[in-house]
Amino acid sequence: MNDPYGILGVPGNANDDEIKKAYRTLVKKYHPDRYQNSPLSKEANEKMKEINLAYDTVMKERHGKTTYINGKNSDNTQYDEKSRNANTYNYSGNAVYERVRMLIKGFNFTEAEQLLGDILPTGRTSEWYYLMCVISYNRGWLEEANNYIETAYSMDPSNAEYYEMYRSIKNQREGTAKHTGENSISDCFGDCCCDCCEDMCNILRRFR
Amino acid sequence: MFGYLQIDKDELKVKDYRLYKSVYCGLCRQMGKDYGIAARLTLSYDCTVLALLYMSLNSEKCRVIHKRCVVNPLKKCEFCNCEGKALEFAGAVSVIMSYNKLEDDINDSKALKKLTARIMKLVFKRNYKEAAGKYPEIAAITEQMLKKQTAAESEQADIDRAAEPTAELISKLCAMLGLKGHSVHAAEVFGYYVGRWIYLMDAADDLEKDIEFGVFNPFKSKYNGDIEETMAYCNEVLNMTAAQITLAYDLLDIGAYKSILDNIIYDGIPKKQRYCIFGKYSRGNGKRRRVKKR
Repeated sequence: MNDPYGILGVPGNANDDEIKKAYRTLVKKYHPDRYQNSPLSKEANEKMKEINLAYDTVMKERHGKTTYINGKNSDNTQYDEKSRNANTYNYSGNAVYERVRMLIKGFNFTEAEQLLGDILPTGRTSEWYYLMCVISYNRGWLEEANNYIETAYSMDPSNAEYYEMYRSIKNQREGTAKHTGENSISDCFGDCCCDCCEDMCNILRRFR
Repeated sequence: MFGYLQIDKDELKVKDYRLYKSVYCGLCRQMGKDYGIAARLTLSYDCTVLALLYMSLNSEKCRVIHKRCVVNPLKKCEFCNCEGKALEFAGAVSVIMSYNKLEDDINDSKALKKLTARIMKLVFKRNYKEAAGKYPEIAAITEQMLKKQTAAESEQADIDRAAEPTAELISKLCAMLGLKGHSVHAAEVFGYYVGRWIYLMDAADDLEKDIEFGVFNPFKSKYNGDIEETMAYCNEVLNMTAAQITLAYDLLDIGAYKSILDNIIYDGIPKKQRYCIFGKYSRGNGKRRRVKKR
């Protein structure tokens, strides 16, 4: 295993509070909620495990007890995988949709899409639109995913699963690049942002 | 490529800025060494990012040397002299992509630009052959991507489908960065969204012009006469793509140059986006800051 302090991004002589703070930041960064339905959920999970293990190793080394794995007396910011997975999905009981969910979990999107495509437009429930959204989202077709989740959410606004996805996508779309209406100095690029090499930039500009 | 991946200079430390600049100049120098002076003209910020990413993921060391600038011999510059293949790789990508872009320009430009593109193409032909000989995979995927792009444009593809060829191209390039284990997938996904973002950013930037000239643009179907409203929509699309870039980037094992790459991903991308989308139409101070060249 790699250096646990390195994984947590703190120096070896950091105090407990600093370590806890670093740990919490990392948990937020790699939290499964952030990577829900993402093609990278598996990788994020791996990272999460690595971080938990590192935190645990450090704490064990310092205080001689585990906080994460036995977890009983740990503070409640810690991320617990088992309790999470228990209430993630609320299955509708439709056999086709359940099969599709299995396929999506196994990253088999082509087959999942085929199964969904066999359902006639008249029989398409909100769950159909939700699952289509998940497939598109995983493929990187974000606009399509957005359209599907809007439909699913409008058909059944009370469903927690759809709402979660809807909210996550809306948050992403709102994003950081908001238009504030006023221009600060730092908003001004000029034609080339960083005059890396002004002369080269000037020449290039003439050619473009 | 189009030069949309830039640093946010204001947020960067001076030492990081100097390092970034030395990589930019180093890449220019490397291309001059490998392909001759004409190839230096293909230099772009995007390929600088590619070189940085390559260096970071492979933990390549770089030595800084002081030499005179080719473009301006009066100035002494810092050049990054890389031990590994990063600059060579990025240089080849730059030459190959620029050559292919010229081909694209010939197909869908008007008279004068077409002529310029033809001449430039002649100039770059030898360089392209050299680069393609060294990295046949890059040449192959670039050609493939251009074919797909032409097909997508001729059938008036929607936003997702139109962005896919560029997205896949960058995705494949990122997969070539020499990674091991599970971060290859993260790099592929990262590349996909970076490519998508670059393509859509370019599309949003050109929207007004494309409407005027009747050229294909994926955002055109959303245009209802109010350019500001359409731009706000473009911003949403780009925001979502940028959010996905960040998700994938967080999973990469970035080693050295982390502060520069972080700056590009977390600050540079939103800033460039804000500038391109709202800068032109901003009524904040009643001035149009940038007048578009026609």
